[in-house]
Amino acid sequence: MDWLFFFEVSLAGLGFGALYALTGVAFVVIYKATRVINLAMGEMLMFGAYLFFGFAAGFMLPVWLAIVLALAGGALLGLTLERLVIRPLLGENPISVFMVTIGLASVLVGLVEIIWTAAPRSLPGFLPDDPIFIGDAFVAPKTFWSFIIAGVVIAVFLVLFRFWRGGVALRATASDQGAAYAMGINVPAVYSLSWGLAGMLAAGAGLLLGSIAGISSEMGFFGLTVLVVVIVGGLDSVLGALVAGLLIGWIESLAGVYLGGEYEHLVTFIILMVVLLLRPWGLFGTREIERL
Amino acid sequence: MSMRKRTSELFLGTASAALLALMTASTVLADQPDEAEVGVDADEEDAIVIGGSIPMTGVFAFAGLQFNDGIRDFVRWANEEKGGVNGRKFRYVGQDTGYDADQSVGVFRRITSREDVDFYFGDSTAFSQSINSALNRRDILMTGASFASELNNPEQYPLQFLLGPDYTEQVGILLNYIAEEDPGARVALVHSDTEFGRDPIRASEEMAEELGLEHVETIVTPAGASDISSAALELRRARPDYTIFHGYILSPIPDFIQRARQMGMDTRFMGTIYTMDQGIIDEMGDAGDGFMGVMPYRYYYDEEAPDTEVFGAIHEMHDEYRATTYTQGWLAGMLLMQIAQATLDAGDELTGTNMRKALDSLEDIDTGGIIGVPVTFRGNSIPVGRIYRADAEEGRMVPVSDWIDLDETD
Repeated sequence: MDWLFFFEVSLAGLGFGALYALTGVAFVVIYKATRVINLAMGEMLMFGAYLFFGFAAGFMLPVWLAIVLALAGGALLGLTLERLVIRPLLGENPISVFMVTIGLASVLVGLVEIIWTAAPRSLPGFLPDDPIFIGDAFVAPKTFWSFIIAGVVIAVFLVLFRFWRGGVALRATASDQGAAYAMGINVPAVYSLSWGLAGMLAAGAGLLLGSIAGISSEMGFFGLTVLVVVIVGGLDSVLGALVAGLLIGWIESLAGVYLGGEYEHLVTFIILMVVLLLRPWGLFGTREIERL
Repeated sequence: MSMRKRTSELFLGTASAALLALMTASTVLADQPDEAEVGVDADEEDAIVIGGSIPMTGVFAFAGLQFNDGIRDFVRWANEEKGGVNGRKFRYVGQDTGYDADQSVGVFRRITSREDVDFYFGDSTAFSQSINSALNRRDILMTGASFASELNNPEQYPLQFLLGPDYTEQVGILLNYIAEEDPGARVALVHSDTEFGRDPIRASEEMAEELGLEHVETIVTPAGASDISSAALELRRARPDYTIFHGYILSPIPDFIQRARQMGMDTRFMGTIYTMDQGIIDEMGDAGDGFMGVMPYRYYYDEEAPDTEVFGAIHEMHDEYRATTYTQGWLAGMLLMQIAQATLDAGDELTGTNMRKALDSLEDIDTGGIIGVPVTFRGNSIPVGRIYRADAEEGRMVPVSDWIDLDETD
């Protein structure tokens, strides 16, 4: 056994797992506040990446400004979807809302193909590209910096949920909507807040994913693996998304090297099946979650 | 509805619309027709009709729009400059498929029901497979976008041919070049976990060994946007002198190259036809410099191109670079023209079976300069190609080999 190689492969897996975790947090934020499983998350992520592409490569804006605008655009997309599509459906059968998010995913893919076409593109580089070594182990700089950025963002979110008024309002709404109303919390605003934040997180994850794997109108497929991550971690648990994201990233990476690339997704979905059989509410989720 | 709510909805709606308008303005929207008709009218007697299931939208639109333009320009040129074949002029009818095999079949049915189609252009391997029995029944000859090795079987696919070497032959041309330049070199194959990606792999592993090369690793990457960090580490461990990618258009090739350079690897990266267009190489950015691969056609800017019949005509029509997929559309037309000529010269009608017979009888076909040497079909393919290398300074692909004909190397 080549332990250095194993360590390098593990670091690579954890690095990519951080992106799963980051997108997973966006899933969880929406689910916690609105009880909506948003299947368009992968496509929101894709839209954010294309926004950055449009600002950086189309308008030739400075990278930092393109990033800010893409994040703002992602938030705006989340707000718009919530206000115009999701909120009128609240109180409806969860399956209906679930199906609408599938439709939203197709709409976003269509929109991207109309605006930017489906031609293969590379995202302008914005992460440092000096090689990074931890001891003797090589870590690809993009993976390393994605991990650091995702880690910092998730940490900030955990702190915000705990101490910020908006975060407390979100948690209050998540635990009991009626009581939150009664205590004077503006629940509709919390809905908007959650979708706006999730849109921004997804756009951020899209930038990082796009810089690693390139952008295409099919990159929303990534959202499917993230759905596995949040189901494994627990749909309403930020910590669950974090742990499951890293875990699945790590296991996929090992499976890719020791079993072959064709087994990466297979292993992921086997994990999903096992978790659904043994612990359907996820590793860290709340037990009374309604199943669809 | 309260005033505040209305204002917030109004704001969101306006802001989103503004954002969309802004993004649309930032891109040049591609000219995306969903139907093309050129050449003589449908009621013209004796027209030679080319039908096409063309991916003008969807993920393969970057190639489909070029196929469409190439066939359209060929038809105009052949009718105006050549007067058709024995006075019979061409008519082209192509419709968008969105790169969906079901839609492609639907387009085939629509076009063949309203036109007397003599020749067809298909958009994918899946379509070529699913339409095969209908082609045989209707007796129509077809070519198209696919280079799948499976199609290179005249018994199973008697009325289809490929516009160059199949994928196994493409990798074979690369391996022959490597064996010639660097005998005994270490070779790794990297492919996507798709039908496209798996196509040439098993045969290529064997061919590498037969050519005296050392096949050190085959790496599979999952389909879709995924991380290749661990695959890049595997590649480093294999220490290949040459790495051949297949089953991708662009991603994740640039990422592989960047990581290999960061890890100090000394390997030469190569690709197959759909990665080798100048537009795709340009998208690779710095990673594209030095990228090599096989291309069965001349590039638009080839030094000898202006002196050839086809590129002379193309240069007259377009003073800017045209993609290799555009040339592919032209090649379909040029081959059809010669096949139709041979069929009519033999006194036969333009049925699929007759045209197939004519195709088999043709030797040393002159493609009007698209391929640099006269070519002969082997089975359903033309096993000829040339190795090119991306030169960032010149901003173009430069040939590093002569035309390699696998029939001569076997």
